[in-house]
Amino acid sequence: MVNNEKLKKLIVDVFLLEEDEFSFGLTKREIGTWDSLGTVSLAVGVQETFGYHFKPEEALAINSVKDVITILESHGIAFDR
Amino acid sequence: MVSPLIAEPAQWTPEQLAAELDDGVFVWCTPSVREAAAALLSHPVSLEPPQDAKGFHTLVAIGGGTLLDQAKVLRRTAFPSLRLITVPSIWGSGAEVSSIAVLNVEGRKDIQIDAALTPNIYVHMEALTATIPEARAVWACGDVLAHALEGAFSPLASGEVRAELAHVLQQVSQLPLGKDARWFAVSAAACRGQAKSGVGLVHGFAHSLEGPLQTLWPDGDIGHARLCATFLWPVMAFNRSRANKWDLLMEEYGLDGADLFARLQGLYEDAIYEAARPLIVEGWRRILRDPCTRTNSVLVRPEHLTFFQERQFR
Repeated sequence: MVNNEKLKKLIVDVFLLEEDEFSFGLTKREIGTWDSLGTVSLAVGVQETFGYHFKPEEALAINSVKDVITILESHGIAFDR
Repeated sequence: MVSPLIAEPAQWTPEQLAAELDDGVFVWCTPSVREAAAALLSHPVSLEPPQDAKGFHTLVAIGGGTLLDQAKVLRRTAFPSLRLITVPSIWGSGAEVSSIAVLNVEGRKDIQIDAALTPNIYVHMEALTATIPEARAVWACGDVLAHALEGAFSPLASGEVRAELAHVLQQVSQLPLGKDARWFAVSAAACRGQAKSGVGLVHGFAHSLEGPLQTLWPDGDIGHARLCATFLWPVMAFNRSRANKWDLLMEEYGLDGADLFARLQGLYEDAIYEAARPLIVEGWRRILRDPCTRTNSVLVRPEHLTFFQERQFR
C-alpha cells in the first residue's frame, strides 16, 4: 500500500471517520474526535505505520493531515502530491 | 476555606492513626469491614458519610476504591477544610494515594482528575487483609497488574516512569496472587507510576463493559478489578501481536516475561469473557472511543475487533 493510502487509512482509523469524510486537506478543527488523546493515538499509529516517532514539539504542532505529511517527508518518507 | 493542593499524601502507620483518633475524627467505612475497623480503631465507625463537618477536623475513609473515591469527591466539594485520611480495605485501585476519582454514574464511569482530590494521608492496615474474600483478592492483584503493565507500556510513559513500573513488576513477580498484605504497597506504587503516564485497552474494556455486564448478570459480582483481571491476557496478547514492546521491557529490566504472561493467563476467566463477547461486538466503537483505549500502547483499529471476537489470544 503506498504511503498516501496508508496515511488515509490511519487517519480514518484513529479518528473513526467514514471513508468519504477523509481528504488530505482535513484539519484538526474539522475532525471532532481530534483532541489531545487523538494526537497520542495518531503518534502511536504513525510509529507503527511509518516507523517514525514524533518529537513532542512536532506532535504539539500538528494541526492537519498536511502537517503530518510535511513532518514525515522531512524525514525521508515520501508521499504522492 | 479551600484545602491546599496536595502533591502526594503522607503515609502513616496504623499506630499513628490510632494516636490521632479523638472526638474530632469521623470514620466512614464500607459495611464489609465495619466490624474489623471498629475493633482495630476502638473508635465509632459510620456506614454513612458525614452530613456536615460540624465539630470534625478529620475524615477517615476505610474501604475499597469506590468508597475512597466517594470520600475524595465529598471532601473536595462539600468539606474542603477537612483533613482526609484514606485506608484501603483492599488493594488494586490505588485510590488512597491518587488525585483521580472514578465514580459510577448511571452505568458509566465518570473519571475526575484534580489535585484537590489527593488525600492528605494514607494508611495501610495489613490486618484488613483478613476481611477480603480470596477471589476478590486475586482480582485485585489483576487490577494492580493492569495499572503496572498499562502504565509501563503507555505511549505517555517517560523512561523514568517505565523504570519505576518495571520495579513494581519485579516486586509483583515475588508475590502470590491472592491474600498477601504486601500487595497494598505494590498497588500504591503501581498507581503512582501509572498516574504519571496512562492506561490502555484493558481499562477501555473494563470501563465500557462493567455497566452492561452488571445489567446482564446482576448476581455475577462483576466489578472493575475482575474485568481487568480477565482482560489482561487477551489485551497483552493483542499488544504483543502488533509490537515488540513487551519483549523489550522484559529484557531491559531483567523480568521473566514468560512467567508474567502465564500469570495473566491464570487470571483469565473464560465465563466472563464469553458473557462480554457479544457486548464487545455491539459496543466496539464505544470501546474504541474510550479515553483509556486511545492511550493504549499499540493503536487499536476498527478491524481489530476480529482478534477479540474470534479470541485469537487463545
